[in-house]
Amino acid sequence: MPEPIIKARNLTKSFGSDHTAVIAVNNVTIDIQPGEVVLIMGPSGSGKTTLLSMLGGLLNPSKGTIEIDGTNITTLKESALPEIRALKLGFIFQAFNLLDALTVEENILFPAQLHPGGINQAQDRADALINQLNLEKRRHALPQTLSGGEKQRVAIARALINEPKVILADEPTGNLDSQTGQEVMMILHDIAREQGYSVVLVTHDPRVEDIADRILWLEDGKLGDRKQELHKWSRDPVCGMRVDEWTADIKADYDNKQYYFCSEKCLHQFNADPDQYLKQPRSSN
Amino acid sequence: MFKWTWKSLFSQRGTLVGSALGIACTFILVIFFDSVWRGESLQVVSYPSHMKPNVWVMQSGVGNMHMAMSFIWDWKADKIAKMPGVKRVTPILYMNSVVSAAHTRMFAFIVGLLPGDKRAEPWALTAGRHIKKPLETVIPDVLSTITNVNVGDQLHIADKSFTVVGLSSGTYSSANSVLFVPFSDLEKILSSTGTYSYLLVDAEEGTDPDSLAKRIRDEVEKVNALTHDQFVRNDLSLAKQMGVDIIIIMTAICSTLAVLIVGFTSYSLVMRRRRELAIIKALGMGSMNILISVIIQSGILTLFGFTIAVLFALFVIPYIPLILPQLTLAVSFTSLTQIGLIALVVAILGALIPAWLVSRVEPATAFHV
Repeated sequence: MPEPIIKARNLTKSFGSDHTAVIAVNNVTIDIQPGEVVLIMGPSGSGKTTLLSMLGGLLNPSKGTIEIDGTNITTLKESALPEIRALKLGFIFQAFNLLDALTVEENILFPAQLHPGGINQAQDRADALINQLNLEKRRHALPQTLSGGEKQRVAIARALINEPKVILADEPTGNLDSQTGQEVMMILHDIAREQGYSVVLVTHDPRVEDIADRILWLEDGKLGDRKQELHKWSRDPVCGMRVDEWTADIKADYDNKQYYFCSEKCLHQFNADPDQYLKQPRSSN
Repeated sequence: MFKWTWKSLFSQRGTLVGSALGIACTFILVIFFDSVWRGESLQVVSYPSHMKPNVWVMQSGVGNMHMAMSFIWDWKADKIAKMPGVKRVTPILYMNSVVSAAHTRMFAFIVGLLPGDKRAEPWALTAGRHIKKPLETVIPDVLSTITNVNVGDQLHIADKSFTVVGLSSGTYSSANSVLFVPFSDLEKILSSTGTYSYLLVDAEEGTDPDSLAKRIRDEVEKVNALTHDQFVRNDLSLAKQMGVDIIIIMTAICSTLAVLIVGFTSYSLVMRRRRELAIIKALGMGSMNILISVIIQSGILTLFGFTIAVLFALFVIPYIPLILPQLTLAVSFTSLTQIGLIALVVAILGALIPAWLVSRVEPATAFHV
């Protein structure tokens, strides 16, 4: 059994103090193995993003330790963390988080300036990623001209440019329609299976379960067993995708009924003209 | 990182241009007031500057002309004229007074010229002629434009009326213009006889002005004698002292304004880009790199403002006196260098608060939607 690439022990994160303290993550212990795809699921407000932020060295835990590739980041000075983030970790965000002023290629190469080889040595890797993620024609485009799927592919390329050990993704399909979400999911699957990256995903998208090696259930800040009824399924009235009501964040009330959506895009489409999608209501499971 | 710094600054061109213009305006104000001050100071000493005798002789204890009073007995001029190495001695009578012309009253230097004196008379006329008879005067052409007093009109100095017979150029200053009147009329106004104010001493060729001035001081009692350069330096120094406090205050006010504009622009850039800065931190960029980036943005902004101000100083300020002839403006390399240094300080100070804000940006906020 190889050494875990991430070893988190008794992680606790609380915000506020005394009687106003809120415990977002409570005594969580996780190991992430190399090449493993781990899915962190749980209801809204369960502490998933807080946990991911701590695993990525973006947030200091109140208690507990995190080792990334053998380095205990909880004892490191603040000034040493950027190097860990730049070289050992790749981040993929729900809102893509591309730098607006830079082109696709420049966005992908941005973290490479922190790599010992610098941008020049990263150019070949960037070319390969642009090619692999089918971004060749958009190489010099600015983010504002890209579709959601293209933006997320650029974000994935950016996360991979320094060849980190672990990819941390927060709702990577959350702002994409179902088809594009499927594509992004398959890219993440491939980079884990074919290139050996560890991928830690926080998502509500039940389709991601199909590519996960392990699913961790976080509720009230604690890791635990998912309830016996694994899902309460609904159908997204716009695209027809299956959505788990237990974990869905994106929902809307209309005509005294609650509807669940796979993405913000579907929600916006629904809000624009709900009746169009309710004429032929899709059945719930 | 520098590419992002540069491109993100230019991605908001409206903000960039507006801020650069705002900064430029404050620097232009500093340059403008400085050039007014320098121009006026130079203009105040225009008369002694243009006369250029080798040595100026005046009453003991007096070392300049601007706002000064000096009386020397006429026999001392005769004594100096006979000294070896002296080619010519030109006496003038001089006083500061208020001149009333049309409905305007202003300070002026009144220079009394002996009949037929070509040495101390105005060096350039733009209209009319030099004074020949009693109660005639030559006034600055700019003064004529401002007051609408022309050749043939009357003006008053003390209790006497003079007829304007000529207009001289280069003799106007908003602080003190130079008017020329007959020596005898100024004697009457001053109620003095047998005295001069200053002696313009021209030396024989080959005579060292320094040693001549020293000999005059040693051999003629109760007079001061200075070389031309020293005399003009003294005058200019006093003229500059008159406005230096105002210029310092104006520079401080305008520099503070520039700091506020640079600071506010950098602050709004940082506030608008907090999320982007969080992303950059999440991607592994250290606070120091981002801090340098903010300072560079502030520096670029200030540099643009400063460049606009310098272009204005070089290509616009010289033409302002064509529209406003009463202004004498002098842009100096020294003042531009000083303002450049101020700009550097402005850029650094303007980046301080935004830099502090940058250090507080939490990279974890990059995960917030």
